Amino acid sequence: MDEPERANDSIAVKDLVKVYKGGVRAVDGVSFEVKAGELFAFLGPNGAGKSTTIKIITTLLKPTSGTAEVLGMDVKIHSARVRSSIGYAAQEVGIDENATGRENLVLYGHFYRLDGKTIRRRSDELLELMDLTEESGRQVATYSGGMRKRLDLAISIIHQPQVLILDEPTVGLDPQTRGHIGDYIRNLVQELGITVLFTTHYMDEADKLSDRIAIIDHGRIITSGTPQELKDEISGDVVSLTLTTDGASTSDGVLDSSREMLRHQPFVREIQEIDGDLNVYVEKGETDLPRILRVMDGNGLTVQTISLSRPTLDDVFLKYTGRTMRDEEGQRTTWARMQRDVRRRK
Amino acid sequence: MSLRTPIWLFVNLVQPLVWLLLFSRVFERMVDLPGFTSDSYLQFFAPGVIIMTVLFGSAWTGMNMIQDMDLGILDKMLATPVTRVSIVLGQVFGSVSTLVVQALLIFLIAWIMGVDIATGFPGVLLTVVIVTMLGLGFAGFSNGLAIVMKPPDPLIAFISFITMPLKFLSYAMVPSDLLPGWIQVAKTFNPVSHSVESVRSLVIVGYEWNVIIPDLLILGGIATLMVLWATFMFRFRTI
Repeated sequence: MDEPERANDSIAVKDLVKVYKGGVRAVDGVSFEVKAGELFAFLGPNGAGKSTTIKIITTLLKPTSGTAEVLGMDVKIHSARVRSSIGYAAQEVGIDENATGRENLVLYGHFYRLDGKTIRRRSDELLELMDLTEESGRQVATYSGGMRKRLDLAISIIHQPQVLILDEPTVGLDPQTRGHIGDYIRNLVQELGITVLFTTHYMDEADKLSDRIAIIDHGRIITSGTPQELKDEISGDVVSLTLTTDGASTSDGVLDSSREMLRHQPFVREIQEIDGDLNVYVEKGETDLPRILRVMDGNGLTVQTISLSRPTLDDVFLKYTGRTMRDEEGQRTTWARMQRDVRRRK
Repeated sequence: MSLRTPIWLFVNLVQPLVWLLLFSRVFERMVDLPGFTSDSYLQFFAPGVIIMTVLFGSAWTGMNMIQDMDLGILDKMLATPVTRVSIVLGQVFGSVSTLVVQALLIFLIAWIMGVDIATGFPGVLLTVVIVTMLGLGFAGFSNGLAIVMKPPDPLIAFISFITMPLKFLSYAMVPSDLLPGWIQVAKTFNPVSHSVESVRSLVIVGYEWNVIIPDLLILGGIATLMVLWATFMFRFRTI
């Protein structure tokens, strides 16, 4: 067995590149490490390359170049061993709707070649842990979205993996259920000492849940660190200005002159424009907000609304990309989704 | 799976029943034509119904594979240490086992309706073997195709396109003597004909080994080839 290079890293990805047929560079030189016992978030908008990276680490895709190691094992060379030591729950809950919750658990227990006794014991434990004991005898088709996700989580750890990889574990769930799933994931890390790598496009989720974050955009990691470190990169406060009412578009002239004016103020660090609004990054919001107003007024520019906030990960993303990371998720009407919707309606 | 969704089991069984009850009446007088080996059209037609049910059932099994891909079920399995080959073989053999049960049920219903099985119980067992090979052939073909095509629409079009002629260009409904010469040539390449021929022989005549053995060899060959095709396509398209 190969000696792991750095025993501390559960996942080590180096210069990973994936070019799909047709030339799309989904992953463009990604490197990062996840330490043992860490809860690591991979944050980025849809299409940033998160899922592709995850699929390479889980041995579902071959990288074009670069390496990915799980517990010191290269995913290309030792794919079978990697599969045995990771748990994986994808965006889509890939479980048999016609079988019961327990049957699904047992099936996957067999996939991981556990013996019947162990499967029974662990199924009981995991159903208990995920609060599904009562529903375990019911067909999955009758489960709610949150219950399916919990079952999917239970299935992914039936073989007690050291590393758990979750692709968008909370996508498509309502905010309250999202929070619950987050709690379950935290619980797994604390109770079982599992290393977790998860992707999300929810800023608040990455912020609250993770020990460390890598922000990815256009197939590249643009920055990484603890949530606090990242937010500290945006020193000071954010003052947001709206210059128009009722969504009427601000004329470029007004925007440009406001920008120009504010840029020359000594207390302004940076200005970002989003959809006709201005985000002004200042040192100390409480004193700088009135100053901004005075400057604008003095130059005959009207401010419709003004607000002051502490920097969020959204501001971090904005700083590096010049864009906000809105939820760009359009409802994908794939065959699968349609079928599932039809089935649920029945 | 079918047992959990009773509606499908129902539909899958009602259709052959309609064939048996309705069409055996519609074509009742066909047996007066020369070339029929039996004087009961039901007797003649029942093996055809069994084979058609298995043909359609297995030809559509690729849809299950597509569904598994779309729902993320396949990816979830591929991320486990299960061998790749067993995933595709599980799909193919799983579907075929359901179809064998269906074929047996139709046989039972036909028997209740008055169909005599010349070879009795051993003939039924031999039918299971024939039907299994036919099913494996088409399920393998369909699954391999599903893996290559991925979106369901072309698969639906393609499967409809091939199953219809396969049925009518076979001996399922009319004996070979009544078919035009060119169809008799096409028959050689049609596994549906080979299976109908053998099962019909077992039901009406008895053990015509000179017919049954070549048919079994051809069906077995096709089944092996198609299961290999599905397996290779699967190995080729997944890691």
